[in-house]
Amino acid sequence: MTTTAAAIAAPLHTTDVRGRMPIRYVLLETRRQMRNVRAMVFTFAVPVVMLLVFGAAYGSTKDPTTGLQYLVVTTLQMAAYGAMMAALSQAFAIVNERSIGWNRQLRVTPLSGWGFLVSKVIAAMAFAAISITITTLVAVLALGASLDPMRWVAAGFGIWCGVVPFALIAILIGQFAKPNFAQPLFMVVFMGLAILGGLWVPLSIMPSWMGDVAHLMPSYWLNRIGQMGAGATGTSGMLEPALVLLGWAIVLGAVIMWRYRRDAARQ
Amino acid sequence: MDSTPVIQLSGLRKRFGAVTAVDGIDLTIRPGEVVALLGPNGAGKTTTVDLALGLSTPTSGSVRLFGEDPRAAVIDGRVGAMLQGGALLPDMTVRDIVALVGAAHRNPMPVDEALRRARCTEIAGRRVNKLSGGQLQRARFAVAVVSDPDLLVLDEPTAAMDVEARHVFWSSMREFTDAGRTVVFATHYLDEADTFADRIVIMRSGRVVADGTPSEIKAIAATRTIRFGGVQESAHVALRGLPGTVGLEARHGSVTLRTDSSDQTLRALLASFPEAHDIEVVASTMDDAFLALTADQPEQPGVSA
Repeated sequence: MTTTAAAIAAPLHTTDVRGRMPIRYVLLETRRQMRNVRAMVFTFAVPVVMLLVFGAAYGSTKDPTTGLQYLVVTTLQMAAYGAMMAALSQAFAIVNERSIGWNRQLRVTPLSGWGFLVSKVIAAMAFAAISITITTLVAVLALGASLDPMRWVAAGFGIWCGVVPFALIAILIGQFAKPNFAQPLFMVVFMGLAILGGLWVPLSIMPSWMGDVAHLMPSYWLNRIGQMGAGATGTSGMLEPALVLLGWAIVLGAVIMWRYRRDAARQ
Repeated sequence: MDSTPVIQLSGLRKRFGAVTAVDGIDLTIRPGEVVALLGPNGAGKTTTVDLALGLSTPTSGSVRLFGEDPRAAVIDGRVGAMLQGGALLPDMTVRDIVALVGAAHRNPMPVDEALRRARCTEIAGRRVNKLSGGQLQRARFAVAVVSDPDLLVLDEPTAAMDVEARHVFWSSMREFTDAGRTVVFATHYLDEADTFADRIVIMRSGRVVADGTPSEIKAIAATRTIRFGGVQESAHVALRGLPGTVGLEARHGSVTLRTDSSDQTLRALLASFPEAHDIEVVASTMDDAFLALTADQPEQPGVSA
């Protein structure tokens, strides 16, 4: 059996972006991924466990920097962490599908590179929504975090929309990492985003230079958009973090297209 | 009948670094043809299939499918393919995966119809990772036909199938080609090419070395072999020089000559080597034709001992 380099190439490598974005395909693909929700249990559980540990410890005292309950701050932090993790997990699905040659089969269908991208972003967003919902419900029902319901909705929705750049990071890893390189790369990216963005430990207890670094991380702004949605003190509202995350999405989208064109030209 | 070729490859070349996998192929395949692409490993079959489907870009030369570029033909749903290294998702059922691929196409056939054609109705509810080798190939065939394509490209479709499974597979394939559709399949199995294809294209080192009907292919190669014993090894050079002789193989003291004129060769053999005995003259098989056409590669020197 001869295996060509193309065997592991993905739809994005196809020499041509033309094709369709069939809605029915995107729906079936999302449904398929939702059936694998069991594989995500650990991903959903980690932020909940961390919330139960840290949230209970902080109690209902107020965080002076945000003006929110510490419990709410921790909840949003964990919701952002869980949503990011759920979205990034798409990287493994993509690497796995690539390595078994599924993408090769997809390339003899009309599905376009963009159709493929959209189907993966939607799946990432769906998992992120589940994680955000679970984490928030545990905070409200089990720990009694109190916030105006509309504030919860705004915060959750903000975090959910902010997940797009992370879905794009997952696609970048999934499309371009070699199968045995994906795991370490994923760990570095995910730990970096979680720690430097202040999703595990509040930045206020970290050295001040970390704060400057954090402002470069999309994960910081993911947390921030949640805090702003929850009504944290600050002048910008949700607009500033939304713009930063949009900027990240545009930059990542451009990198994906650049890699795509380069690979297409080389093949 | 529509005269636009289904596949038109012109001066097709593909280089991977220093390796030239496909080295100048010109090939025209017309509607309704069933073509076998035959060749040893590394002959460039899979690369040719990839180029023809637009999965990779030629270094030079061009590919047209139905007169348009390959991607356009794929988008139109005119091409179905079973690829090497194109696996199915292991945790899905056969039905769901056929439905998923069908959903990517504009005018797919009903899922049940694709399953029936590929003889997958009984295994429709089974997960892909629970299938036997033959069943998996049938499932991949169902995926390939779900777009109701005019052209099917199959890269070693019966690999990992036992005799029974191959039989079932080819009967479902006949149903497909009886409707006037075009099939191109790459294979290692000479008998498959011989019995199923109405045209055989033999590849070697990235080139087409023979192209014709199965009987023409047999005729291109030496048509007879003469086997005998009793001749010393020192006489092999003289044997090679006998009229009509195109090849010699020696094994366990017996010699096999390939000849394109068995009468002449035999007369000369008997005249020059009266010690030859147990002489058999046999019409060559597809295997002989294949070996004759694909042997003598610089990468594979010598005769198997």
